[in-house]
Amino acid sequence: MKNSVRRHNLRRAGLLLGAFALLPALGQAQQAAAPAAGGQAAPRQGGSYSNEKSFSAIAEGKWNGPRLSDGQPDVQGHWSNTIANHSNFTDPNGGAPGEQRRAGSAPLPPRAERAPSRVSDPVDGQVPFQPWAAEKVKEFQTFFANPIKPEYIEPLARCAPAGVPKSLYWHGYEIRQYPGYVVFLFNSGTRIIHLDGKPHLPENIKLWQADSRGHWEGNTLVVDVTNNNAKSLFGRTGEFASENVHVTERYTFDNSNKRYNYVATFTDPTVYTRPFTVTIPARRWTVEEKPNGWHFETNLANHDGKERILERDERICTENNGGFGVVAVSKK
Amino acid sequence: MTILESKFLNTKLMGTATSQPGFRLRGLGFSLLLAASVLVSPLVSGEAVAATETASGKIPRLNGKPDFSGIWQTTSAADYDLEPHSNRKDAPPGAGIVEGNYIPYLPKALEQKKKNFENRETADPAAKGYSLSWPRTAYYPEPFQIFQRKQDVTIVPQFGHSVRTIFTNGTKHHAGEAKEYWLGDSRGHWEGDTLVVDVTDFNDETWLDRAGNFHSEALHLVEHWKFLDANTIEYKATVEDPNVFSRPWNLSVILHRHREKNFQLIEDYRFTLDYDQYYPPKKP
Repeated sequence: MKNSVRRHNLRRAGLLLGAFALLPALGQAQQAAAPAAGGQAAPRQGGSYSNEKSFSAIAEGKWNGPRLSDGQPDVQGHWSNTIANHSNFTDPNGGAPGEQRRAGSAPLPPRAERAPSRVSDPVDGQVPFQPWAAEKVKEFQTFFANPIKPEYIEPLARCAPAGVPKSLYWHGYEIRQYPGYVVFLFNSGTRIIHLDGKPHLPENIKLWQADSRGHWEGNTLVVDVTNNNAKSLFGRTGEFASENVHVTERYTFDNSNKRYNYVATFTDPTVYTRPFTVTIPARRWTVEEKPNGWHFETNLANHDGKERILERDERICTENNGGFGVVAVSKK
Repeated sequence: MTILESKFLNTKLMGTATSQPGFRLRGLGFSLLLAASVLVSPLVSGEAVAATETASGKIPRLNGKPDFSGIWQTTSAADYDLEPHSNRKDAPPGAGIVEGNYIPYLPKALEQKKKNFENRETADPAAKGYSLSWPRTAYYPEPFQIFQRKQDVTIVPQFGHSVRTIFTNGTKHHAGEAKEYWLGDSRGHWEGDTLVVDVTDFNDETWLDRAGNFHSEALHLVEHWKFLDANTIEYKATVEDPNVFSRPWNLSVILHRHREKNFQLIEDYRFTLDYDQYYPPKKP
């Protein structure tokens, strides 16, 4: 296959492998990402994951910040989550199933000192799976590091869109807003939130990025999510929903316009014993900060003026010539 | 007032419309109605106009520039084959959309094109669900949505969701080594009411249509986007590639606004179809 495509995929492989082998124990360790295989140019600087030990709740209420012409709070820009990645849904700092920690790296701190579960309700931080579903999750975790069947391959390794909610902790992303729309440009996939009250798509249409209808309540973007094909899973620990899942999301933005918390309720009586809540903190990245190979992958625009203008490259991932990432996928 | 409206009123004043007295009386009443409606028609300011604007109405504007926001699709069959062709089992006949009819291939490149055509059923990157890139997205038979701000135009095609950003903030092509983008590096500026977009730094992974017309990494595209009316855009592109063509050549298609009630893109990923049956886990 052509070098150009291989370069894109291997650059991604380099980022994943580098960041994985050097998983930071506490706080924000600074380590350089490993150079990509094949003699390609090294990924851009940085590559560490943010790992907040705690974060504040943000009260829902009035928005005092800038607004778009149609009255929406203007929260456009570059954002990313603040705790780890998609390796572990309920123990974000705990690493992916079967992951070997590199010799010489610090041991994991006790669970109580690691970041909280993304499941904020129930209080035990576990997804309330029905027994059959819990068995499926265990099975996925058993074979994640040695996928003997295609269903044990984490879909992002095959360039599948990251879906709901995984898109929010898979690399940084950009929010663009227009009258009647909020558009999320993720690293794998795009979500268009319709604000004009049109009805959802017919229910037998199922999509990787689902179908979203939203409206603003003060500082909170409330989004109703249906038509979810649920194929993206929640991450490397294999938690999942079914295509019957209904998600109600609340993105509450702090009036500093520098942070928001995603608080979403997942309801699916065919998979869970009760609805549960997912909480994901996020923060804005600005031109004042250096690019980060995970959270903030931007460039400075080329122009004659003095202003530093951020740009974001296209995000196109196509599986075509073999595997990348922690799990190898060989294509016949 | 539109040109049509003023022409009509001028005709009435000149008294040349018709000799039938009855019509003249009705015509006069209609002229007055028309004049009245022009006086009370709402001014378009800032926001994009709703898709119910009549074809002869003003084009929508944003910050004084034409606003292309909306969902667009061509009725052209150009994706089957850019060049004129009779029908085939896998394509209807078409006159093509190439100015001068035929694409000026270099001899070696023409051989490659013929090979592509022979293998098109499996070799077409679109059949594998790859990004269509540009100009092909413009005439592929699926809608794409344009979102516009002052600093950029964002285009989300339904097929594959390869999101394209056209920077309209006066910035230049990125500096440094080539990145070989699927969609190229797009920089747009306004010439009157025409958006002119210069696109460079492509990879060579995509085709220009289903018939195997192709390009190299040296592709250079110059697009002209212009409203013909509020619901119609003329898309023109000059295609240049010194590795493949002996000279630059032009194509153009007409894009129509989708005005069906509640119309929206429906995500269309193809490459995931090879494996999506394995997810999510099913109840035994």
